[in-house]
Order: sequence, then structure tokens, then C-alpha cells
Amino acid sequence: MTATALSRFGERLAQARGALRAGALATLQVNLGKRCNQACRHCHVDASPARTETMSDDVLEACVRALERWAQLTTVDVTGGAPEIHPRFRELVERARALDRHVMVRHNLTVQLEPGQADLPAFFARNRAEVVCSLPHYTEDATDRQRGRGVFGKSVTALRALNEVGYGRGNGLVLTLVSNPVGAFLPPRQADLERDTRERLRDAHGVVFDRLFTITNMPIARFAEWLRRTGGYEPYMARLEAAFNPATLDGLMCRSLVSVGYDGRLYDCDFNQMLELDLEAGQPRTIHGFDLQRLEGRRVHTGEHCFGCTAGTGSSCGGSVA
Amino acid sequence: MGAYFDDVDLAHFGDLKEHAPELWAAFETYYAAAFEPGLLSRREKVLIGFAVAQASQCPYCVDSYTRQALEQGLTMKHLGEAMHSAASLRAGITLAHGLVAHNTDRKVSM
Repeated sequence: MTATALSRFGERLAQARGALRAGALATLQVNLGKRCNQACRHCHVDASPARTETMSDDVLEACVRALERWAQLTTVDVTGGAPEIHPRFRELVERARALDRHVMVRHNLTVQLEPGQADLPAFFARNRAEVVCSLPHYTEDATDRQRGRGVFGKSVTALRALNEVGYGRGNGLVLTLVSNPVGAFLPPRQADLERDTRERLRDAHGVVFDRLFTITNMPIARFAEWLRRTGGYEPYMARLEAAFNPATLDGLMCRSLVSVGYDGRLYDCDFNQMLELDLEAGQPRTIHGFDLQRLEGRRVHTGEHCFGCTAGTGSSCGGSVA
Repeated sequence: MGAYFDDVDLAHFGDLKEHAPELWAAFETYYAAAFEPGLLSRREKVLIGFAVAQASQCPYCVDSYTRQALEQGLTMKHLGEAMHSAASLRAGITLAHGLVAHNTDRKVSM
């Protein structure tokens, strides 16, 4: 990332509102590691079955202590890799729920078909976790192109299993789908894709869900490598920058979230974590020094990739923001 | 001079206003208004644009409307159906012109 590119986002930000600062923190995002049963082409974590990075007991305990200490952290967003692969994943979910926190699990669906994971839907339901599932598109062809051959079929099987235990039926067991474009373009309007996906999955596969988030592909890691390899990096960045929308800034996830890496380091968001862009100077470096009052109001570390979250209707862990 | 159609030229479409600025401004206003959602959604209008681009064989328009269609949540499966709709209509139009030959033959042949 060049200084020029960094200043481009900084300039647009300065024109719109000045520095980006965190507001009240409500979410602790916990990345349990980079190991995953899949190796998707857009993955900003570069996750795959070959990765070995995983959260230690020490760091996991510090995450729980932060939740015990700071009641303002009402949501725990558990991610990876495939977080379910972590040996203490289920314990973390149960302890967060025992503290009465809302738990969101970033679930790739196909992990249900891995050995020993068939009871995941029942586990999620028992703990009333919100399950946030990756499904790029309601067509098999588009989903398999991004996530690998056969993934769509496995995903439908997994979604049916979630439906069977009560997810997606509007009864409080929340099933959220996440769709990101299968290529170097912006996502469609969230409401439009949600409507089409709801109709297609119901009619063709008998699958129901509660809501759908659209997320923009981030120009970092594996997706950035693909863009560069295919000559698409500059045009994609130009597309994102041309679609910069100041109305997205208030709702950006970095304003209400702190992201914890598998090694305990703290970041403004999942993407800064992958780029290893630390919090601003003077802030705690790791979860061991977590201090919510110091973290609120901190200046967010921005860069060229931030055009990804601010393009069009915006993009966050909770979908569109404007 | 290289190729007549070069994808980088698409970004310079607006340069044409230099030659007739008032008419260009009128075109831009009309074009933007025609693609605003109305009874038809933005996505439906983009799909019409794609089919017209295919049938009109404009590489700039095919490029542009493919990108726009993808950003509307459509895939190549959708566009594949749209291009066959456009192509079959073009085939029908070609055949319909055969009626002129058919009628001419009836006029002049024994």
C-alpha cells in the first residue's frame, strides 16, 4: 500500500468529516484463527486447511475476562477461519451466553459436514446464537465459482439442517445470510438481493432465512492478489473510490467494534487485523490490556482498503450501512 | 491509430460533449431520466440495456451493461438467457424481412 493511496482515502475522509473516530463500543469481535475447511477465492483472511494459526488458551481467557469486566460489550462476534474448528469454540460461545451476551457466529455452512460437527445446528440453537452464514449467491454456478466446486449443494444441506432446528423461521433463532460479489464489482442493493434470494431458496430448495447482508469484497489479501494477477486491481479501486459515499461513515463497524486477533492483538476491524495495522499509538496493544474507556473515541487507522466499506451503500459485518 | 474499439475509450464517452455541448447535456439528462426506476425497476432497465447492447452489437455498451447487471445481483446465467432472448428476436426480425421476398415473389412470379 502506497502513501499516495493512503492519502486518497484520507483526503476523501477529510472532505467529508475529518478523522474517523470510534464511538461507543458494543461488539467484541474474536478471531479464533486462520484455519478453515475451505479456501475461498475472495477470502480476506487467506484462511485455508493449511493454516495453523489459532487462538491460545491465554488469549481466549483474556477475551472472556474483557466480557466479564465490560458489560457495554453486548455482542460477541466469533469469526475465523472457520471458528467452529477451534477446540474451545463451543466453550467460548457458552461462556459468552452465560454472561448474557448476544453471540454471532460467522459460519461457512460446509463446516457442518466436517467430522464431529454434525450437531452444530443443535448447539447453536441451544445457545440461541445468531448464525451468520456465507452464501455469495442463490445460484449454484456463482457460489461454486467463488467458494469451490460442490459448496453450494453442501451449503443448502447445511441451511436445511439449521431450518430443521428452528433457524430462519422468525422465532428468535436468527439465520442471517451474507452475500459478497463473485468478482470485482459492487454488491446489489441489499433489499433487492434479499428478496430474490428468499424467493429462490424457498422455491427451489425449501430453505428459509431471516435476513441477508451484502458485503463488498475487500481489496486485500487473497482477493487483492487475484485482482493484481488479472489486471483488475486499479479498475476495482477506481470503482470503489468513484462510489465513495460519506453517508456510510457513521455506520461503519470500526466505530462500534474492536477486533481481537488470534494472537490477542487488538485492531479497529477485521481488515486492519489482516493488514496488521495496529490501533493508534497510546492504545492497548492486546486483549490483556483491554480498556473500553480508552478505546472509545480513538482515531481509527484508515487506508486505501477503507474505500471497500464506504462504497455505494457501504459494507460492514452487518451488511449495508447507508 | 490502433484498434477502432478500445475498452479504455469507454471512460471517454463524455468527451463527445465537446462538439455539441447543449445537445450532449440534453442527451445526458434524457439518458439518466430513462434509467431512473419507475414502473420498471433499475434492474429491469439495466437488463433491457444489456439486451439492446447485445442486439446492437456495441462492445462499449455490452461491457458497461454487463458490469451494471453484475452489480444488480445478476449473473452470467441471467445474462445468458437475456442474450438468447435478444438473439432470437434478431433471428425473428431477419426472418420477418423474408415476408418482403415472399410478397415480391407472389407479385412477379407465375
